[in-house]
Amino acid sequence: MKNAMGLELTESERTLVECYQGLVRVLKESKDLAPFERRNALKAVAALWQVVNGLDLDPGNLYEIGA
Amino acid sequence: MKESPYWNPRHETMPRDQIEALQVRKLKNLVAWTQARVPWQAKRLKAAGITPESIKSLKDLRRIPMMTRDEWMQAQLEEPPYGPLLAAPQEAAIRYHLTSGTTGRIPLQVLDSMKDWEWIAEMWCYGFWGFGVRPVDIVFFAFSYGTFVGFWGAHYACEKIGCLVLPGGNMTTEARVKQILTMKATVVCSTPTYALRMAQEAKTMGVDLAGSAVQRLILSGEPAGSIPATKRLIEEEWGAKAADTAGMTEVGTIMVFECEKQPGGTHIIEDHYIEEVVDPATGEPVGYGELGERLITSFGRGFIPVLRYRTRDLVVRVPANSCTCGRTFDLYEGGIRGRVDDMKLVRGTNVYPRAVESIVREFKEIDEFRIHLYTADGRQDEIEILVEIPDREGVNADRTLVELAKSLSQAHEGLRFGCKKVENGSLPRFELKAKRLQDDRIVIGTAGERRVTA
Repeated sequence: MKNAMGLELTESERTLVECYQGLVRVLKESKDLAPFERRNALKAVAALWQVVNGLDLDPGNLYEIGA
Repeated sequence: MKESPYWNPRHETMPRDQIEALQVRKLKNLVAWTQARVPWQAKRLKAAGITPESIKSLKDLRRIPMMTRDEWMQAQLEEPPYGPLLAAPQEAAIRYHLTSGTTGRIPLQVLDSMKDWEWIAEMWCYGFWGFGVRPVDIVFFAFSYGTFVGFWGAHYACEKIGCLVLPGGNMTTEARVKQILTMKATVVCSTPTYALRMAQEAKTMGVDLAGSAVQRLILSGEPAGSIPATKRLIEEEWGAKAADTAGMTEVGTIMVFECEKQPGGTHIIEDHYIEEVVDPATGEPVGYGELGERLITSFGRGFIPVLRYRTRDLVVRVPANSCTCGRTFDLYEGGIRGRVDDMKLVRGTNVYPRAVESIVREFKEIDEFRIHLYTADGRQDEIEILVEIPDREGVNADRTLVELAKSLSQAHEGLRFGCKKVENGSLPRFELKAKRLQDDRIVIGTAGERRVTA
């Protein structure tokens, strides 16, 4: 996996990015999350967004999912 | 593995060409987001012929129209409470804050989402980590935790870093000093003015702050954090290192910070902002080493996109290699030098409050001061410095007044300064953004910014 600057990410970095992507996907697609699941996942996404942004993957904005 | 001295090592040490490539890419994204989500801004961009595709280099930034605080305020007045500036619905917000109200008719009102709020803390992390704050630290915030954004982001940054955070809101100065001591705080965050205020209080209490556990002070909210004399005084009083930071509610957080090398300036967080320095009169860019007004473009808060915002802050930008820390982020030498609108014209001489403060702080016997401008005999501008000099052994207040007046005059083309001792405790104390200049001059003709009196 390469970032927007063309740099290859390390395995650990890739794992973090995949966590972020997985969480975003769940938050977008799942309608049956309990409040504790959705709100805690949103907090996690907001934090992981900083990682993905800092790794130059242009994560965009997350307002549509509430983050 | 050795701990990094940088919060984001890759970005903070990136070669200049890569920083610029990153900024261009983020600028394109920001323009695309703004055009799609903020019609008010989109109209301005369209009128200037700006599209994301038309941005090829940082030179294209200059085609984007500057935005002023007046425009922002006007937009809020026309479409309260936020103006047509939001890129997301209010329901997506988790925080509401206001500007501190030192400039302008009305405070600016801003919103942040969960992600934006994390980003706000993230910017403070650059500063805290860069100045050596680590998870073992105990951080005290001398901050009132109100609607002014102030140190809010810094509080969350310290939680993120893993520090033990002591929120010192709603406390007297004495109670704050006591808590700093009893909790063995290693880091204290406050305005420069309030750091001195706490030091004064500690003296009154008979406490030796220099012997406390405090190792670092993180200063913000006033330019004084980078005034060498003020900073030296703070460091001596506390027996600790002090770092300057500067932020603004319009972007929600800090955009510059001082690193552990204390180079006499503040690094610009260039992977999250584009900072330009321009001539405040013409808007034309000025070079390294020249005084100018900073314009900010922020890539962080998506809720309210900020493109080429005129900050009115005066700065002198110098290259990254002016500091030995290894960061490739440029610096503002001497931090924020003052405000474009701070300058007062007194009998043909420019007077900047910051310059006056830098001289007053050379006199350690002065506890507090005020700059007072007034009109004598209904026709002549006068400037006087009111000072508090507590009675202490070895202090000759009369001599201090004479020497202060002489130093101020020498630094201001011979302008005569009246210096007067006032009763101890009679001048206002400040927790946030000190306002030490009082302009009571009567309007004569059109010169200067003066109070209209009947």
